[in-house]
Amino acid sequence: MFEVRFHGRGGQGAVMAAQTLAEAAVIEGNYAVAFPFFGAERRGAPVLAFTRIDAKKIYSKTQVYAPDCVVVLDDSLLDTIDVVAGLKPQGTVVINSKEKPEDIDLGKEIRTASVNATSVALEILKAPITNTAILGSFAKATGIIKIESLEEAIKSRFGEKLGEKVGERNALAARTAYENTVIGKSRGIKKLEPRKQWLPTYQEMPVGGVLVEGITEAGLIGPGSFIENKVYGWATFRPVRDREKCTMCLLCWFYCPEGTIVRISDKGDLMTNYDYCKGCGVCANECPVDAIKMVRARV
Amino acid sequence: MKKVITGDHAVAIGAKLSRAEVVPAYPITPQTLIIEHIADFVNDGEMDAKFLTMESEHSVMSAATAASAAGARVFTATSSQGLAFMHEMLYATAPLRLPIVMVNANRTLGGPPGIWCEHNDSMGARDSGWLQVYVEDNQEALDMVIQSYRIAEDKRVLLPVMPCIDGFVLTHTVEPVDVPQQQDVDSFLPPYMPDITLDPAKPALFNTLMLPEYIMELRRQTAGAFESAKKVISEINDEFAKKFGRDYGGMIDTYRMEDAEVALITIGTVTSTSREVVDELRKEGEKVGIVKLRFFRPFPAEDLKRVLSGVGAIGVFDRSISYHGGGHVFNEVCSALYGITKPIINHLAGIGGRDVTKEVIIKMFDLTLKAAKGEKVKEINWHNTRGETV
Ligand code: SF4
Ligand code: SF4
Repeated sequence: MFEVRFHGRGGQGAVMAAQTLAEAAVIEGNYAVAFPFFGAERRGAPVLAFTRIDAKKIYSKTQVYAPDCVVVLDDSLLDTIDVVAGLKPQGTVVINSKEKPEDIDLGKEIRTASVNATSVALEILKAPITNTAILGSFAKATGIIKIESLEEAIKSRFGEKLGEKVGERNALAARTAYENTVIGKSRGIKKLEPRKQWLPTYQEMPVGGVLVEGITEAGLIGPGSFIENKVYGWATFRPVRDREKCTMCLLCWFYCPEGTIVRISDKGDLMTNYDYCKGCGVCANECPVDAIKMVRARV
Repeated sequence: MKKVITGDHAVAIGAKLSRAEVVPAYPITPQTLIIEHIADFVNDGEMDAKFLTMESEHSVMSAATAASAAGARVFTATSSQGLAFMHEMLYATAPLRLPIVMVNANRTLGGPPGIWCEHNDSMGARDSGWLQVYVEDNQEALDMVIQSYRIAEDKRVLLPVMPCIDGFVLTHTVEPVDVPQQQDVDSFLPPYMPDITLDPAKPALFNTLMLPEYIMELRRQTAGAFESAKKVISEINDEFAKKFGRDYGGMIDTYRMEDAEVALITIGTVTSTSREVVDELRKEGEKVGIVKLRFFRPFPAEDLKRVLSGVGAIGVFDRSISYHGGGHVFNEVCSALYGITKPIINHLAGIGGRDVTKEVIIKMFDLTLKAAKGEKVKEINWHNTRGETV
């Protein structure tokens, strides 16, 4: 059995990638399952998805804890998540990064394939949705699946949902990434502290799960604790407002799902707190006078 | 002070004496009189409560939950379809550990539509996280509203309580009820003082999304509160008995069980009629007794084991059907008495409001006595049901 864990962010299509890989495996006569782990999902939040491939029916219904391959759709995740946790010693990491494997520090020297899937996606799909590109890289790095099977699965899955053209463009993204994948070994220097979690026993849990402001060894809990949850690392784009054009209609302030656009005073100016801006572009989309432009936050 | 009043009236007085502060309500037969009496009390200035007429039972329980979270003592009442309609909200209230008291007037849960007594309505809510107590007369109905607040608000429990009263058999029947003095109730039931409330000055998160890392512990915590409730129920029963002179036994009550060879486990008003049947059968030399199931949640497994250790066979009365073959009480009793080899015989009767006559109850004892003597008796018996033989 071959097990894959996908790390991505809400909106990048990690779940679709896992499903498409499963479909490609089935096309080759194998059995495969793919499933997401749904946390408190929203656009930009870290998400997990899994694929299992085997020659015979797979009965296991648990998550994957010792994957043969880890696919990382967004290298900004490396700062906060130990993506190689549980990875088998002979396993492979497939990562969307502009860096070569030798320059990527995973805290472990391990077989790594890298590709700049964001650039591939922006170029071919005109959107930073990297799920199909990274699958091409997966095919190259693991040899578990033929690129032709992947192309067929992508055309079928994406074509069905989004039209034949989109299917073909996504297949091309996979092929392009396949051809541009660099395989090497990651660096193993940094020590990633496992993220502290507040895990009370049932006796310690506040009665009824009702939370007041509090501090635990894992940080703040209860009302106001979100202040610790900075999301700037999620952003591919960030909004820049043209003060000349802005009419102060406040639509962007109203619609921002992160509440990160702040009214400095009742009459006065608006300020975007980039610490909490996930770069979703909702503000730019809502602005009636096109005063907000989204600019690339990182490459 | 003795008053000749209906069960609904007794319950309304119980809510008034308990100084309930918020009463969101939606009327439904046979609960309607409760709500009408409370509306009168509030209107006449006899009761200092916020009376809220809601647009549905779902909203009633939403309002009740919010008011309780804000720190108010909350009372409401419902029945049958109304209870079913608030089912979703019942499940929201209990894990939040909000000590609401809601009386359910037991009524047939349609279809087919029916307004008469049956326990299928409240039995469907047995796993919603509410404590449930079933009573046999109007006095007990009033007293249990008061006791329920003490149980619900006890820091070891903090769970909502649902006293269940048989529709029409109690709700619309007048009988003498000793109405306690307000100052006695006040000294028995102090004001509700929650630790955390919905208060803008001191923000708190209620009922937020919980990941799998937490929900199992929360469920375990709620299950623990049900365990603790058993002791609290017994303590409060004893305290109430001392103060008001009425001892209901706590989780269960027994009648003439000292030397009984056969016991009938009863629930609701059938207990009351069964007391007379037991007296009559005893006169004829039959050593029979009753175990009155008061609390269904938490379920009195240990008490049942204790009081049933000496009998040769156990009869179980059910006024509801669980479609696994027998009724809900039977199901739970079998589970509680797991490992005991004596016969346990289920007696289904009174469903849909059919009167449970003395003849029917005598038949229940007859069959159970036969089983005790080793004769073959069906495990599940539909009494007074055309086409069935018992
Ligand atoms: S891009 Fe705009 S709408 Fe989205 S989080 Fe940032 S400020 Fe808010
Ligand atoms: S929506 Fe556009 S015009 Fe309106 S306040 Fe925001 S930036 Fe200004």
